[in-house]
Amino acid sequence: MSIEPITGRYLTVTVQGTPRRVYFEEAGQGRPVLCLHTAGADTRQWRHLLNDAEITASNRLIAFDMPWHGKSLPPEGFETEEYLLTTEAYIETVLAVIDGLGLDRPVLAGCSMGGRIALQLAALHGHKFSGFIAIEASDFQPAWYDIDWFHRPDAHGGEMGAALVSANISPYAPNAERWNTLWMFMQSGPGVFRGDLSFYTKDDSLIARLPNIDTSKTPVHIIVGAYDLTCTPEDAKRTADAIPGATLAVMDELGHFPMSEHPDGFRPFFADALARMPVTAAKAA
Amino acid sequence: MIETFKHIQFTLESTPHLLRLGRLFAETVLIQVDRHEYYLTFDKGHLVNLAEGPSRKIPWRFALRTDAEALEKFWQARPEPGFHDIFGLVKIGRGRIDGDILSLVKNLRFFKEVMGLARANEEVAA
Repeated sequence: MSIEPITGRYLTVTVQGTPRRVYFEEAGQGRPVLCLHTAGADTRQWRHLLNDAEITASNRLIAFDMPWHGKSLPPEGFETEEYLLTTEAYIETVLAVIDGLGLDRPVLAGCSMGGRIALQLAALHGHKFSGFIAIEASDFQPAWYDIDWFHRPDAHGGEMGAALVSANISPYAPNAERWNTLWMFMQSGPGVFRGDLSFYTKDDSLIARLPNIDTSKTPVHIIVGAYDLTCTPEDAKRTADAIPGATLAVMDELGHFPMSEHPDGFRPFFADALARMPVTAAKAA
Repeated sequence: MIETFKHIQFTLESTPHLLRLGRLFAETVLIQVDRHEYYLTFDKGHLVNLAEGPSRKIPWRFALRTDAEALEKFWQARPEPGFHDIFGLVKIGRGRIDGDILSLVKNLRFFKEVMGLARANEEVAA
């Protein structure tokens, strides 16, 4: 028997004028590191790092489920609402969670759409953070699939979404973690993956903002897996080149969900990224 | 190449979870490899017929068009990036999917894993 050190609680914040009950998990102490999951998934993607005693010895890792995802409920009235995530709502949610938890200039680590919004926050609200780890993150990619496939009355969007995103998992990923990663997509609520992808594949506003990121104040480190078909190493390099002072690491044997699909392979890259971030004094939440 | 598809047909019969996943799949799929055509007809998840083309008489629901070298790489235990998935082949310009793509997407896990049955190490999922 074993009990993990991860603890989970709920926080209610206001986003776009309505209350959102947000589930978050955390482990560790010291420098706060806020972790953002990918589209169509949830906090469980970060489970291995939250359970990593060496990482959490000096880092307080916090991950939360975006509203509509995981254990965070959708807002009241969702039953008649079409879920379409926007850059503005996503930014407001991340900032509300930081305020709600009383985090003092956390490092922001986001993957995929979480990496995209991390770079948006670096451009627009950099002073609220101490640094950015943008994983499988790039300026913009249009969809190479039809996002409407994933929300239909005649098929299971979660199963289709999982089958599609399996294209982004490396063949080096341990089989058990491959399927744990896909399970989150299978469990995703109806229309949620589509609504995330709408934000991810249609909003190209980040491109013009990248040169505004001041890495002398808040470093930006981008990490990308060679098996990522959605955000390719070329996409990540183009993005890093557009941010003065940004750094880039390519993981030859990983894909789009590195912290979840292949935790041992990702760990050294994440530890290296943390080492590039400033050490800040931690405030109690 | 036809021997590889026969291997897939044989292996599918001893892969119960794929027969279960494909229980509603009854379509003919065209696999075009360079200039060669292979028609794979499925019924209730079983690969019930393999036919070599070219043929203008066999209707198909969707097609995967690629080349022999790309498929050879796809079937390696750990393919290099892009060759590890049928959508990867499309993304890197070594494959094309035609026809009723929604039919493919609705049965995507089944079809990808069936294609992956010819992998050198079948423990590595499609």
